[in-house]
Amino acid sequence: MATGILARRLRALVGDDGVVDADDVLLVYECDGYTLERAAPELVVLPRTPAETAAVVRLLAEERVAFVPRGAGTGLSGGTLPLAAPVMVCTSRLREIESIDLRNRRLVAQAGVVNSWVTRAVQGDRLLYAPDPSSQTACTIGGNVAENSGGPHTLKYGVTVNHVLGVELVLPSGEVVRLGGAVEDRPGPDLVGFVVGSEGTLGITTRATLRLVRAPEAVRTLLAIFDSVDAASEAVSDVIASGIVPAALEMMDRLVLQAVEQAFSAGFPADAGAVLLVELDGPAAGLEEQAEAVSAVCRRNGSREIRVARDEAERALLWKARKRAFGAVGRLAPNYCTQDGVVPRSRLPEIVRAIAATAERHRLRIGNLLHAGDGNIHPVILFDERDADEVRRVIEAGHEILAACVALGGSLSGEHGIGVEKIGQMPLLFSPDDLLAMTRLKAVFDPEGRANPHKVVPDAKVCVEARAPRRQAAM
Amino acid sequence: MSAPSGDHAAALAALASELGADAVREAGPGDLVDGVAPFAVVRPADAEQARRAVAIAVRGGIALVASGLGRHLSIGAPPRHLGLLLRMDRVDRVVEHHAADMTVTVEAGCTLAALDERLRRAGQWLPLDPPAPAETTVGGLVAANLAGPLRASQGGVRDLLLGIETVSGEGVVVRGGGRVVKNVAGYDLPRLHVGALGSLGVVLAATFKTVPVPPGEGAVEVEVASPREACDLALALRDAFEPAWLELVAEAGGPATRVVFGCAGLPPEVACGLLRARTETEARGHRAVEVEDATALRARLAEFPLREAAAILRVSTLPDRTGLALESLARAARDCGVRAPLSAQVASGIARAAIADAVAVAPVLRALRARREDPDAAVVVERASAEVKPRLVGDADPWGDPGESLALVRGVKRALDPGGILSPGRLPGGV
Repeated sequence: MATGILARRLRALVGDDGVVDADDVLLVYECDGYTLERAAPELVVLPRTPAETAAVVRLLAEERVAFVPRGAGTGLSGGTLPLAAPVMVCTSRLREIESIDLRNRRLVAQAGVVNSWVTRAVQGDRLLYAPDPSSQTACTIGGNVAENSGGPHTLKYGVTVNHVLGVELVLPSGEVVRLGGAVEDRPGPDLVGFVVGSEGTLGITTRATLRLVRAPEAVRTLLAIFDSVDAASEAVSDVIASGIVPAALEMMDRLVLQAVEQAFSAGFPADAGAVLLVELDGPAAGLEEQAEAVSAVCRRNGSREIRVARDEAERALLWKARKRAFGAVGRLAPNYCTQDGVVPRSRLPEIVRAIAATAERHRLRIGNLLHAGDGNIHPVILFDERDADEVRRVIEAGHEILAACVALGGSLSGEHGIGVEKIGQMPLLFSPDDLLAMTRLKAVFDPEGRANPHKVVPDAKVCVEARAPRRQAAM
Repeated sequence: MSAPSGDHAAALAALASELGADAVREAGPGDLVDGVAPFAVVRPADAEQARRAVAIAVRGGIALVASGLGRHLSIGAPPRHLGLLLRMDRVDRVVEHHAADMTVTVEAGCTLAALDERLRRAGQWLPLDPPAPAETTVGGLVAANLAGPLRASQGGVRDLLLGIETVSGEGVVVRGGGRVVKNVAGYDLPRLHVGALGSLGVVLAATFKTVPVPPGEGAVEVEVASPREACDLALALRDAFEPAWLELVAEAGGPATRVVFGCAGLPPEVACGLLRARTETEARGHRAVEVEDATALRARLAEFPLREAAAILRVSTLPDRTGLALESLARAARDCGVRAPLSAQVASGIARAAIADAVAVAPVLRALRARREDPDAAVVVERASAEVKPRLVGDADPWGDPGESLALVRGVKRALDPGGILSPGRLPGGV
């Protein structure tokens, strides 16, 4: 069907303002937070309700048109890049929180509900939605479900999949299935767990039943300054070994600290090698003891200075360095790109050394922001995109770092997803038999291969070549 | 038991030659699965032998059920066919416990008790406390999605499982997930196997997140007049302090019901939790009694699903309807003239009744389903003796309505087990 006719039929379903087909507006949709590759869809459809979404997908099924689902476009692995998919289905107008059940700690949100709205809706009742990606004021629940998003507090609370009890999924055929729901432990295999993190390749999530957790009664935040990443990593190991599971355990290395210091004087010593940000939460009883135990562990591992937040304002101050780190690093060079890899937590010193070696080999500056508690690393590579040779080195360095993560027993992605960015490296992690199983499972949901084609699982049909690294990234 | 047919004899010969004669034997009367007899029992010595055993079954088109020590085989519908019982209990290594990384990789046949012993050396545990840990293997834990009281605070298998290694229904090793605590690379195969009763692959090994053992544990008990009152009190206690576990027990089948509130953590946390629970209880005019050995009580409560009974019925519902679910179970049992001890896990919305009389199971189940007092609830026969299983047909199917995901589950089954040889028929909808 010609694009014009398809656009007309889609407008009949979702209203005139629900279809974007003007070239200049389509440019907005040519990439997400991963700007390395760009491709604008032919049409963007913005349904207003879950039912309209299903109607749109049914029409696309009738016409055998492939599509890419998209939430707010904050993804960092190119999951919403249209590859052989002319239509983008945007769920950002599905903005209703449909029900809140405080007693049972459940909330049903449509896909376009922004992550932070969920907590805002229930915080007066001392509840919250735990997954907190740093893009949480923009990213949507639908996108979080697709990517199985994390955030700094996943160490204690888990990621999206641990907080999604049910999804309503529009299959690529247009059929709607409700998987799971407010009631836990339904008989049979855990299809909800399978759909979460499937990056929009199995269909479009239109609603999700979320688990709410009790907001912590009390929080203690402390920041410890170390001479080296090794010393800070040892402190992390000792904290874990002491039996304390902090809510967050973040690390920044020297380059990042210097950038932060330059951008806004946080008062870090010029020769500081690493900073640990530790957050403990729970009932007030016992929290002080835990904070003291963490301080003692840090001191024992050579921390030269420990700052403890005494109130919410001081806590915000300690988090400021961490939260603004990307922006601060961004000032050091015309461009930067962020990688996302995972290593077993105890291998952090090794991966940081490997990253330093990679940086030296490729004559690049690489800073490290680390979700140290769960071994999730975010190396930030600085470069100038006008320097083609440097850009090539940046891409090579990124691949080398991920390969090093896998070699240390880790993974290609902790929270950004595979998308198009890392699809070429999936064979590092999975055998052909593993990948074949994934391909067949995809076909169960999407036999015609029309939902977000050529993502997550590599196939022989499309070779995704990395050309330029993405410039910005937020976690 | 009839003599092995030609195909069976060929498979037996292949198994004996590839795995060694001591790994294979003809099945006996003790090897039945829900009353269905396999012709042989295979007991591989390691993961590779297990893979080869499955591959031989694939070649011969022979259906198999994987089992650890057989303690939980009464879960699910009876297998539609059965040739081999694959006993995984010798595939039992703890492959690696990285305490500093808070992960453990363990083979399917390792018991939870053995795993626990190992993890505790480093001050950690896998915070899942299903019944009979000494007779429950890791494979069974995953396949049957087992849990216990700690489910209230620690989540279930799906929340702790990081990676899995299986043999598919084509005899091929398929891995998913990984050995790190945070990982979003590729489709989440591990979770697909949770609760799949081995029908999507035979579990060879699994990687879990481990956590520090809390240094203290305490509990209080409160007796109230009815399950519904108990449920209300339990939720009020949960709002006063986040419990580690929260159980309701009515040994006599109600109405008198005990609320057991357990908390864990550092000693001051435990003390604070118990104090708040007592204060909240007394404010409601009840009396809270401190439990002497909370850990031992939790272990006893965890055993409910394995108590002597013809069947365990389970209602899964919302937390605030667990009281209602217990009352429905009690009434249905009473109407059918049986006594049914009751137990519930409020935070996860699970209510159970142990039905003593085999003849009563199907009528109680039908009565519960017919009333549909709670439209969101799933009423299932969690476990039943081989004597009961044949009666559980039609509207007394152990699983009940398989729901709208049935077509997808069938598809997933075909994708991973195209020949339909792994635990055929055991899942909802006869999958």
